[in-house]
Amino acid sequence: MEPTIIFAVALAGALAILAGIFEDLESDTGSQSNPNSQVQLAPQIGHLHRYFNKAISGEPPAYGFWSTTGATVAVLLQTRFLSGFGEMHSVILASIFGALVAASILSFYAIFAHISRTASMRPFKQPLQLDVILSPLPLFFAYGFLAVLCVTLISFITNMVLLNPFPVPLIALLFGITLGTIGSSTGDIHYGSERLYQTFIFGSGIPISKQGDIDVKAEYGFRNSIDTPYFTSRFGGPVTGLCFGAIVFLDNWSRLFTFAGKWTPILLGIIIIILLFLINLSIEIYTRNRFNEFTKE
Amino acid sequence: MDPIIALFGIIIGGTLVGVCVHFIPCSAVGAMAATTGIATGPTMLAAGAGMMGLMAAAYNLDNGLALMLASGAIASMLMIALTSVVANITYAFGVGVAPTSGQSEYDRFTGFEQKQCLTPGTDGHGIPTQSFISGVIGAAIGGIGGALVFYSVYTLISPSIPSSTAVAIAGIIAVGIYIINGVLPAYTLVGKTEGMTDEKFKTTPKTFYSCLIMSTVSGIFVYAASVVI
Repeated sequence: MEPTIIFAVALAGALAILAGIFEDLESDTGSQSNPNSQVQLAPQIGHLHRYFNKAISGEPPAYGFWSTTGATVAVLLQTRFLSGFGEMHSVILASIFGALVAASILSFYAIFAHISRTASMRPFKQPLQLDVILSPLPLFFAYGFLAVLCVTLISFITNMVLLNPFPVPLIALLFGITLGTIGSSTGDIHYGSERLYQTFIFGSGIPISKQGDIDVKAEYGFRNSIDTPYFTSRFGGPVTGLCFGAIVFLDNWSRLFTFAGKWTPILLGIIIIILLFLINLSIEIYTRNRFNEFTKE
Repeated sequence: MDPIIALFGIIIGGTLVGVCVHFIPCSAVGAMAATTGIATGPTMLAAGAGMMGLMAAAYNLDNGLALMLASGAIASMLMIALTSVVANITYAFGVGVAPTSGQSEYDRFTGFEQKQCLTPGTDGHGIPTQSFISGVIGAAIGGIGGALVFYSVYTLISPSIPSSTAVAIAGIIAVGIYIINGVLPAYTLVGKTEGMTDEKFKTTPKTFYSCLIMSTVSGIFVYAASVVI
């Protein structure tokens, strides 16, 4: 077992944790993915709001696109930088430029998505405000940049050190789609179920009849999208990072061992899945005992 | 692999991908803890799992079909299992609700009563054990399907073009066929399913036939293209 490979597996896992955190915070800041339906629904039931409303597409295809864009630009630049900076520095420098391009495209899409979404809410008197567009823009750019940078670097590590036969942009596409799926499946729950409905008592659940009845007032004035990561970075972001980081790390880690021949990763994978089943069961038992006081009419 | 067998590999793999989506518990409204399932679209979750499967399968390109299919299945299962666990952690500690099915009286595997922890006015929340097991089974089917398509396309085109290019093209075609067949069940699931315990699971034959037709068309295109090459 080479130390370089072990370090690469650990680094890929660590970068995946960061990518997950930043991806979730970026989507929460712009109300992307499934909680977007609530932000879109709010004006229709009389709640005019100051949330940023960007549903460019579902998170998986969106992050597949940003990541592939970043990785493609990075691969093209890396071949140019190779002679001047050496292999490692050229990859890092090219990934930074690639992520910058992807984050710029993301920001443009976000602006147009917000304007067109808000314009479609005109019959319900939802105003289009310039500061609502401009204030969270640096946040999208920063979070999007960091998420794409991490995915691009993971793609380079997977291709160059872990020797995956896929080219870097295709690896970035696969990781981007998976990252978007995980962000949409885990971290967004904290935004859609808790942040948007903080007036409901914790643990009481959100009845379907209350959908769209989101919190529009903050401690001082109206709520805005800049405050959202302040809340979701405490839980939603880290759990997304935990999930994506664990997937990337465990998948690569299981390939490090050869005690049962070529079938060792499969054996380890089955053991991990059985452990996850037991963890899931224990969470279910714990929550059934802990959160059943609000479920009676 | 014989080209005709590879063509059948694409058809079988594509159909398996379509069928797998019915097993994976998903619901967009799950993001508001208002329905049972992982909080995203079924197609997107199946695609996310399938992509991890493809990535793992690519490592075993030279180790034979059996190991490739197994590694694809295991990586997909790992992705769904981890996502389910972390989603349940979010529901438990971020929202404060227990995993509950909105359609079943009792969990088929644990026997837990479901209505006991159901928030009034919702159609369930979280991923109970029956949905977890269903999702893992679906991920295994999808992972095998995706890896089979990848391997079949690779064996079809690799004699004509350099190996590294063939891997990339086979990977892109496998992603394409995966997403095409993953989208088709959306018309029968309509954005929400609890997995194999859901009423909509009975519509699986419809998805099977539509994916069979779609995979056959896709497979013939790939076969024709490889013959032209």
